Amino acid sequence: MMGEQELVDSIDALNTEVLRHWVGLGWVLPARAGDRTAFDRSDVARVQLICELHLDLRIEESSMPVVLSLLDQLYSTRRSLRGLVSAIEAQPREVRDRIADLIAGRT
Amino acid sequence: MANPYQILGVTREATQAEIRKAYLRLAKKHHPDLHPGDKDAEARFKDVAAANDIVGDETKRARFDRGEIDASGAERTQRTARESYRHYAEAEPGFKYSQFRGGTGDSPDDLFSSIFGARGARGPVRGSDVGYTLFVEFIEAINGTKKRVVMADGNALDISIPAGLRDGQTLRLRGKGLEGHAEGPPGDALVEVHVRTHPSLHRNGDDIRSILAVTPGEAMAGAKVSVETVSGQVSLTVPKGSNSGRVLRLRGKGAPSTGGKGDHLIELQVVLPAHPDDEFVRAVTDWEAKHPYDPRKQREARA
Repeated sequence: MMGEQELVDSIDALNTEVLRHWVGLGWVLPARAGDRTAFDRSDVARVQLICELHLDLRIEESSMPVVLSLLDQLYSTRRSLRGLVSAIEAQPREVRDRIADLIAGRT
Repeated sequence: MANPYQILGVTREATQAEIRKAYLRLAKKHHPDLHPGDKDAEARFKDVAAANDIVGDETKRARFDRGEIDASGAERTQRTARESYRHYAEAEPGFKYSQFRGGTGDSPDDLFSSIFGARGARGPVRGSDVGYTLFVEFIEAINGTKKRVVMADGNALDISIPAGLRDGQTLRLRGKGLEGHAEGPPGDALVEVHVRTHPSLHRNGDDIRSILAVTPGEAMAGAKVSVETVSGQVSLTVPKGSNSGRVLRLRGKGAPSTGGKGDHLIELQVVLPAHPDDEFVRAVTDWEAKHPYDPRKQREARA
């Protein structure tokens, strides 16, 4: 877990005002208790990603929600697919072969 | 490492603007979050970023051109080892950003449940658990408190911190996680609570420990001093003739435990004046000359 100041200090391109703006826009969702903000490791990684996409690559503020949402959907899809793959891997040989054939378009 | 100009595909004579343009083009092309799982893209992105760190910065570029730093940029600001966002985003089903801004209707999980749901193989699905982290003060953790946390979805959650809670303990709030699918029950909120350290009080099992500084006079003649405990200031009697290292016990002033409450153990520390003047030094050395004693021997005898 990281406090706001600690996070700002760890990334050159970032300042408190910008970070709070992102939190205000809902791009980052840290845990809050009273006036304290706590960023877990996934929040920190997300802030780094936003720095790269928004500050570095200059993806505009109005485009950022679309980009973030697409990325999140992609990752969520990959996670689900991995679940599906391991479910298929747990099947007997002939079932797996049958599924492989169907995916490849062979009947 | 290759030449940063080559990596960016520009000449040594390129203007800063041209380098910037080349960098943006390559960074967009190879950004690892746009190529999940592609190790090559990740490596190329790192090279491009490292090259830009040098020649994208006019001062460093000049130093590189003069040969003061090599292509690996011995002095360049460290790119902190970055754990990719994907690492987290793909990891857990309840990931809090997976419903970022509502997204658009169908999540892949919805798609699967529609496949399997159609066969009746899969009924209602329970919502995912959501993790939160909360900080409480040391005293609050010992005595218990109520905390309000604003959750990812903007709703506030009131959490009772039970008295005696330990650092790192996780509280489960039933039904406060993500909503279920197909009329499944909601998941739980898992709140990991971190206890901040206290400047003078420390926890040791169910006991609290602290150090109390006393003057030589207080230690030798005995005194009543006010000490901080988890339940406020308490008056403590320092017995006459107490030495440094003596531990006094305040019963029941510790953390709550199954069998009642722990104790607060206070270790005395005799502290000399910061700048003893001649008068003090003379008084003590004169006394010691008349009444010699060897504190090292006493220690050994005790041990």
